[in-house]
Amino acid sequence: MKMDQKFLVVDLDACVRCYSCEIACRQENALSLVTQSRWCRVQTISPRKVGGELHLDFVPVMCLQCEDPMCAKFCSVEAISKKEDGRVLVDEETCIGCQQCIAGCPYGAMYFNEVTRKAGKCDLCSSRVDSGIEPSCVQHCIGGALRYVWGTEVEELAQGRHSVQVGRTYYLSSKWKLSISGQLNQSPPRERHA
Amino acid sequence: MADESCRICGQPALPSGMKERVIRIAEEKGIVDASSLLLCRNCKLKSFSHKLVGGDLRKVPRAKLVPHRRTERLEPVKQDSRLGTTVYKSECFSCNQGCDAVVHVKDGRVVRVEGDASSHVTKGILCSKGLASPEHSNHRQRILYPLKRSGKRGEGRWERISWDEGLDTIVRRLNETEEKYGKDGILLATGTSRGWLLPFYRFANAYGVQYTAPGTAQCALPRFTGSTLVGGTRFLENPDYAHTRCMLVWGANPTSTFPAKGRGMMEAWIRGAKLIVVDPMLTETSSKADLWLQLRPGTDAALALGMLNVIIEEGLYDQTFVEQWCHGFEGLKKRAAEFPLEKVSEITWVAKEQILEAARLYARVKPSCITIVVAIEQNADSLSTCRAIAMLAAITGNIDVPGGNLIQMPVPVGLWLKADLALNNILTEEQHERRLGSRKYPLLSGKHSVSFPPSAFNYDAWKAMLTGKPYPIRAMYSQGSNMVLAYANSKMVLEAIQGLDFFACVDFYHNETNRWADVILPAATWMERDFVTCSDQVSPDSAHLQQKTVQVGESCSDVTILNELAKRFGFADRMFTTDESFMDFLLQPAEMNFKDFKRKGVIRLPWEYKKYEKNGFATPTGKVQLFDPKLESLGFDPFPGYVEPAESPISTPELSGEYPLIITTGGRVPVFRHAEFRNIAILREIVPELTIFLHPETAGRYGIEDKDWIVVESPRGSVEGIADLTPGIDPRVVQVASHWPGKSNVNLIMDNEKCAPIVGSAQLRCQLCRIRKRE
Repeated sequence: MKMDQKFLVVDLDACVRCYSCEIACRQENALSLVTQSRWCRVQTISPRKVGGELHLDFVPVMCLQCEDPMCAKFCSVEAISKKEDGRVLVDEETCIGCQQCIAGCPYGAMYFNEVTRKAGKCDLCSSRVDSGIEPSCVQHCIGGALRYVWGTEVEELAQGRHSVQVGRTYYLSSKWKLSISGQLNQSPPRERHA
Repeated sequence: MADESCRICGQPALPSGMKERVIRIAEEKGIVDASSLLLCRNCKLKSFSHKLVGGDLRKVPRAKLVPHRRTERLEPVKQDSRLGTTVYKSECFSCNQGCDAVVHVKDGRVVRVEGDASSHVTKGILCSKGLASPEHSNHRQRILYPLKRSGKRGEGRWERISWDEGLDTIVRRLNETEEKYGKDGILLATGTSRGWLLPFYRFANAYGVQYTAPGTAQCALPRFTGSTLVGGTRFLENPDYAHTRCMLVWGANPTSTFPAKGRGMMEAWIRGAKLIVVDPMLTETSSKADLWLQLRPGTDAALALGMLNVIIEEGLYDQTFVEQWCHGFEGLKKRAAEFPLEKVSEITWVAKEQILEAARLYARVKPSCITIVVAIEQNADSLSTCRAIAMLAAITGNIDVPGGNLIQMPVPVGLWLKADLALNNILTEEQHERRLGSRKYPLLSGKHSVSFPPSAFNYDAWKAMLTGKPYPIRAMYSQGSNMVLAYANSKMVLEAIQGLDFFACVDFYHNETNRWADVILPAATWMERDFVTCSDQVSPDSAHLQQKTVQVGESCSDVTILNELAKRFGFADRMFTTDESFMDFLLQPAEMNFKDFKRKGVIRLPWEYKKYEKNGFATPTGKVQLFDPKLESLGFDPFPGYVEPAESPISTPELSGEYPLIITTGGRVPVFRHAEFRNIAILREIVPELTIFLHPETAGRYGIEDKDWIVVESPRGSVEGIADLTPGIDPRVVQVASHWPGKSNVNLIMDNEKCAPIVGSAQLRCQLCRIRKRE
């Protein structure tokens, strides 16, 4: 855990599938319908009975800012790089739109922008963050599930709960023993259980 | 190309030729298993999220740390150097609640709308609808100019006209109708409105013409009336989430429908406050509940009475408060005793233990608050339901205490004093007598109506249009109402509209209702007009600023349209010369004008609890009224009771033989508001079609599979949508969302005749239906 870096924390308990994050993202990054780019997606785990009670869960998925990003490995022109501060960024100038990175991302978080003809994905709202404003999905999250916090606070939030770290993203739950085993490219995946 | 298709679902996954490249690169980079890369995006997202959550349930205490929300200093107008925009502080009216928002403008267009981080109400959040507002303001389908019909009615051919011609035509045609049929020949109509209800009511009363609105009988009026009869104010609208320890959320899903409340509720939940949810469906909210009561649709009043009975019998009520501040406790005790657990469980389908636990939890954990919205207003006896729930808050001493349900502060803005400002006082006895529905539904249409100025009962209005009885209605002026989708029994509504001599509408877009209009006037959205907002539903201690940021086409604020009509009708003195003079009028009690308010941006009062201790409750007795003298004097039951839905397996067993399932309609999704925003592409992408929820067992019986198109039928017609199979609904119940257009309009099959007593709400949450797979 890098205490002096910021992490995106996704508290699965608190996600209420309001889709504010999705639309906030599209607005901040000018992703109209025709771009066919939805960098932030809320997934629904359909209602199911476990332990005698019904559960309905939602999982926001955006670029996890991997430690060793597959998209970068698949990039044909080295347009994708992992930055010092943990962010994985696509250099639009360099990108030739070959789409190999889109196939290479195991999470489905990389998009081909049909308007710019370049690859694109969540960059944790770099332009906002560089001006000292938190990412738009975090600000507008109604449930309080998305947080953009320092490493120290991640520890505090994860205390006594199930958590999984993938790159610069932390998923938390008070119900499910989270797991990412079997997912590509986590070296090594950090799974912690309460 | 089959080769490039998804390994799981078979849909196209990769661009042509990509598969080989992926496998080659994977080999080069030493990636052992590249199979997860050969999936389409949806399957990648699905597989990741399912793998992440898994099925290993090991509950631990949930988080206690409430999110730090972004905060900012209040500035009504500022420049954003990062985006090169001018930023206006305003109030989002994507729905009618009003969340503080900032509007970014560049080159005369709205380019961005975000939550206002200076807001004490929203703490910077905004919902998907609000965030999509630029698409609304700039939409290519917006009606930009006044239009008159150029082809046959309903043909959809329009001709641009001037504002003068549009307004003059409306006035001339309505005057002609009045000459022939009197004022009774005209009906005014409004939808949920976006802040302008007060000027609309004022206009209707000054004009002397009756109005109707789905936003009264169907929504807001029963619950406002319920808590006003009980406690003198709409206190149930304001749960004090910031200080509560227990939340009873009744027929509501505020994170989807009431963003500012949803935020408060979730922060309390994260803090560890208990959550009890009453809902027939597993929803975003009920899935978070510590205790979920999955009741039979329409039986809420019985459940509330059952809980009251437990609380009274077990002595869990607040004795001091009841003795000092409640009127009619002994009578309520007697009434509640008629609802023992056994009986309530049988009526509601909720297990006895759960009812007991809910009642104990709500009464014992102090302070507790109640959240209600529209669902409880659309059942067999909606007023009893709303009153009984209000009484739960009352007898447990949870009114206007920290963490309970709050009474609005006297914010010094005219809107707060609605009743007087709407000019209800100029209505004559004869007008009250002649208003449609006034006898049968006195608290909706009669002079005793509370919360809203009396309005015509809509079923009687359509009847009057269709049959001329009790008197003909031949012309209608509608402001912001897509009536064909918004009212039950759409076929009747449509036929009534089609037969009118004259029909004028004010709206943003063409729709199924204004298609039949003779004149359409273009309305300004909330981003394109000034207003002062003061809603007890979201900000009971403050008034907020809405600013005009851009001009779109020739669109015009609803207030201006009403003022201009009033001038032409000759009652300008009752209305206002400009929007600004109306705002000045509203702000008189605050001793400022709109120009001052624009610099200030917000008026906020310091909060005071237990305000009733000073002047008592604003009821005739000055106390909380468990016994209602007004209802008794009108010949109704002075205590809340339970009646079986007009259509149900119990009340209509023969009908239930043919239509064996209970249909409950109106469950909302977060991306739409009523009939609005299905034309906003990025919202529609999220929920593209009508979803019909049913249990897999039920689906199995009819040979229906998940995502099949199905048909739901009632004696009135049929509606089509996509089946969503969920174990989160009772196998005897089908849930169909409302307000979808065309064949997916559920109101095509809903009854509008057998309505709740006293307030006339259609029983939209509890009718009967049958289903089949669409051929």
